[in-house]
Amino acid sequence: MAPVRQPDAGASSAFVQLTETRRFAYAQGRFKFFASGLFSFSARFVKPMSRQDLIDELKEIVGDRYVLSAKEDVIVYEQDASILQAMPEIVALPADVQQVSAVVKAARRSGVPIVPRGSGTGLAGGAVPAEGGIVLSLARLDRILKIDLANRVAVVEPGVINLDITKAVAAQGFFYAPDPSSQAACSIGGNVANNSGGPHTLAYGVTTNHVLGVEVVLSDGEIVWLGAMVPDAPGYDLCGAFVGSEGTLGIVTKVAVRLMAQREAVSTLLAVFDDMDGATRTVVDITAAGIIPAALELMDQLSIEAVERGAPVGYPRDAAAVLLVEIEGVTEHTQRAMNLASALCARNGAREVKKAKDDHERELLWKGRKGAFGALGTITPNYYVQDGVVPRSQLPRIMRTVADIGKRYGLRIANVFHAGDGNLHPNILFDLRHPGELERVIEAGAAILRACVDAGGSITGEHGIGLEKKAYIGLLFNDQDLEAMARLRQSFDPERRLNPAKIFPSPAGCGELRVGPARMPAGLWI
Amino acid sequence: MHGSLDNLCARLEQVLGAGSVRRDPLSLKEHSVDGQAPSLICVPADAEQLGAALRIASEMEVAVIPWGGGTSMRLGNPPRAFDLALALERLNRVVEHDDVSLTATVQAGTKIAALQETLGRARQFLALDPPHPAHATVGGLVAANQSGPRRMAYGGVRDQVIGMKMILADGTPIKAGGKVVKNVAGYDLCKLFVGALGTLGIITEVTFKMAPIPESAATVLAQGSVGECLGFVSELLRSRLLPAEVAILNADAFEATGMATDTAAVAIWTEGFTEGVERHLRDIGRMAQGVGMAPEILRDRPHQHLWEKIRDFGAGENLFVYRLTVPLAAVARVLMTAERKDFLAAPLAALAFAGTGTIRLVTKPDAAPAAIFPKLLSLANEHGGHAVMEAGPPALKGAFDVWGPSPSTLSIMRELKRRFDPRGMLNPGRFLGNL
Repeated sequence: MAPVRQPDAGASSAFVQLTETRRFAYAQGRFKFFASGLFSFSARFVKPMSRQDLIDELKEIVGDRYVLSAKEDVIVYEQDASILQAMPEIVALPADVQQVSAVVKAARRSGVPIVPRGSGTGLAGGAVPAEGGIVLSLARLDRILKIDLANRVAVVEPGVINLDITKAVAAQGFFYAPDPSSQAACSIGGNVANNSGGPHTLAYGVTTNHVLGVEVVLSDGEIVWLGAMVPDAPGYDLCGAFVGSEGTLGIVTKVAVRLMAQREAVSTLLAVFDDMDGATRTVVDITAAGIIPAALELMDQLSIEAVERGAPVGYPRDAAAVLLVEIEGVTEHTQRAMNLASALCARNGAREVKKAKDDHERELLWKGRKGAFGALGTITPNYYVQDGVVPRSQLPRIMRTVADIGKRYGLRIANVFHAGDGNLHPNILFDLRHPGELERVIEAGAAILRACVDAGGSITGEHGIGLEKKAYIGLLFNDQDLEAMARLRQSFDPERRLNPAKIFPSPAGCGELRVGPARMPAGLWI
Repeated sequence: MHGSLDNLCARLEQVLGAGSVRRDPLSLKEHSVDGQAPSLICVPADAEQLGAALRIASEMEVAVIPWGGGTSMRLGNPPRAFDLALALERLNRVVEHDDVSLTATVQAGTKIAALQETLGRARQFLALDPPHPAHATVGGLVAANQSGPRRMAYGGVRDQVIGMKMILADGTPIKAGGKVVKNVAGYDLCKLFVGALGTLGIITEVTFKMAPIPESAATVLAQGSVGECLGFVSELLRSRLLPAEVAILNADAFEATGMATDTAAVAIWTEGFTEGVERHLRDIGRMAQGVGMAPEILRDRPHQHLWEKIRDFGAGENLFVYRLTVPLAAVARVLMTAERKDFLAAPLAALAFAGTGTIRLVTKPDAAPAAIFPKLLSLANEHGGHAVMEAGPPALKGAFDVWGPSPSTLSIMRELKRRFDPRGMLNPGRFLGNL
């Protein structure tokens, strides 16, 4: 499979300065907010004089081995799964909450920002150190601390990999519901920061619906619990406000998650359509009929093509779309719901409906979907994934709009997405070697986001705002809305020390910020 | 308050129009909170007028309490001051019901029963069941975080709210979230306003997820001792069945449903496709028999009636209502402790939602809270949960914080309150830590 990163992309030519794209992006958003000065951008690099002192202090806290400052060491941390890059100055890898707190205090004394980082699988540049400072990796806080099946709660450290929670409780008949497609690599701390979703969140909800409480290191180094081991803790729902705050309110060091009991029955079908309209209408009809599937996933012709070239699973190459429907519950429920869903597929012109007879067949139906992103490498050197959301009723229309945008910008777009949630993932295919193509890609991406907002939707369903989308947040929220969000930020982190330059629409970052092809380990994402 | 009442009244009428202000003694008395009547009631016609009223109130530093249907007004500490009741009764429109997308946007003053009726025409409903739906409003339900039965199946308020419009203390209108079920753009300010009792701003509009009205619904009711009920429920929760709610009622609570007996009972609500419901009724019935209980099946009116009683549990005047939230496995121990005659030395009606760990305990007005609340707080605390006094006679409420001891995060909450409501004019003193 072709690597997504260009082989020796020629460092300087591949790195496109953001200036042009930024100018375009901001033209779509609103400038007024910058004038308020609330989020005026300022790089706060470590001063050369104190740099060695800070490094020494950090080494004292976490040990020599766990402070990185040489370029060849920190380069691994310059990027997440987005296309944005900024070289960290110092990377610290604490081992426990006390060390995290001490690192935060040291950063505060030195006046430098801290950018928390989990597995680096984020797609919006949330872990990119745009204003310099310390990248604080939580990879070493990777223990499952408690599994309490009687109370259906697990307490884990932030570096624990999402899938490992389910693995730890599966034999006892439980699972952790939010399942980002990167779940074999992404960390639970990153999931909390981004309020991550996944294919199976349609029926079960996203991360925020499954987190009861978090232990957090605040910007002054204090360690507190937000939420509890039970819901409805008296006072403001600080845990609810924290989940999805992209590392700007605190650094999560423990997470109490809900565990769910595995369902008695799982039924899966794959329907093949000759036109995208039929597939999207089916999605609308299924939810409108009162069936809430566990998953309702769509792939278009280009994605099918990629899958069949990469790791073939037998999807018909001439199909315009395949729809995966998965229903969970007691047997009587899944049977009835499956029959209804199947009939709705047929009514909307599905030419074939395959029902999985057993787990093996079910895995086969999913295999293509799960491998789709990795397979895109077989049809394009680079791709850029968007994350718009529309009300479900708007799905047929928005998919036509996305196709039109592709034509208008002369770009191929492959769609693999969580149709049941109205959460689009248009993958814009391109070749970074073609001058000017990335700019067109970003313009097309912006056009898709605007279309989603016009349809009553959002600019991100599960990837977050990070650096990548902050220029577009003004499409959704006006200055007053953002100023209210800023009040929350200031209540937690008045010095804006934690993950600065994210979410809010200030200029994208310092002069050191570059754009490069995403380094995605093939096959994992979305 | 700065300035005179007449001045406030005149300014409000000037901006909002004649008839937007009420000050007749009967209305004022009806809008009392913990025995304190406001000096004035303002009834804005829309969100814009509500913003204008708040701007005036903020300039004059008036103590404001937002008023929906008045059904959750027993919640919270007695107000520090109460000049102006801001009634949302005229903000009562369903703005949009996108039935295909299963979402609805509703103005905050809309009554729950009226909303359910509108949604029902498209065979959908809002899966939240606050007490007294004919009076309770959307805004009140969200501000007071009143989930009601069926949380096990549908989640609580925080899980079903996807967007909001609010007016901040200085009159600034803001919004959060949106109309889509999945959305991570910016901070989730909705979470902050759910259960904030209107202390950060006044909610004017809420967008919710909808649920389809199930094809069939019924209840398995089994009577026995509290111990038998707990044994039965423990087995049920270990199974792969998916009830919509599991409620355990002790003898006093069960008696309050009007099904007069002197035993405790378990009520299990199941709903969905008919064949799924029948399967649940069959399996749950068998399970009850297996532990020596005699289950009966309630359908239609008896089913509805029982759950209405459960929904409205503790809603009488002058009663003390305590809410304990504990981990699931601790529900049994809390209920058994509450049954002990020597625990509180006061008759106690207890209702537990066993699938979510929410337990409500009700005592008579003569049971002094000073002897009871500390015991309940330590009982909940012992199991990693918490306790709140949800209602009590005003005269006996002021002695302690009804929200229990303040958490270590009180300083953050104070800072939030200060930044959203710097003059402390919204619901002053009623929230945790007298915020």
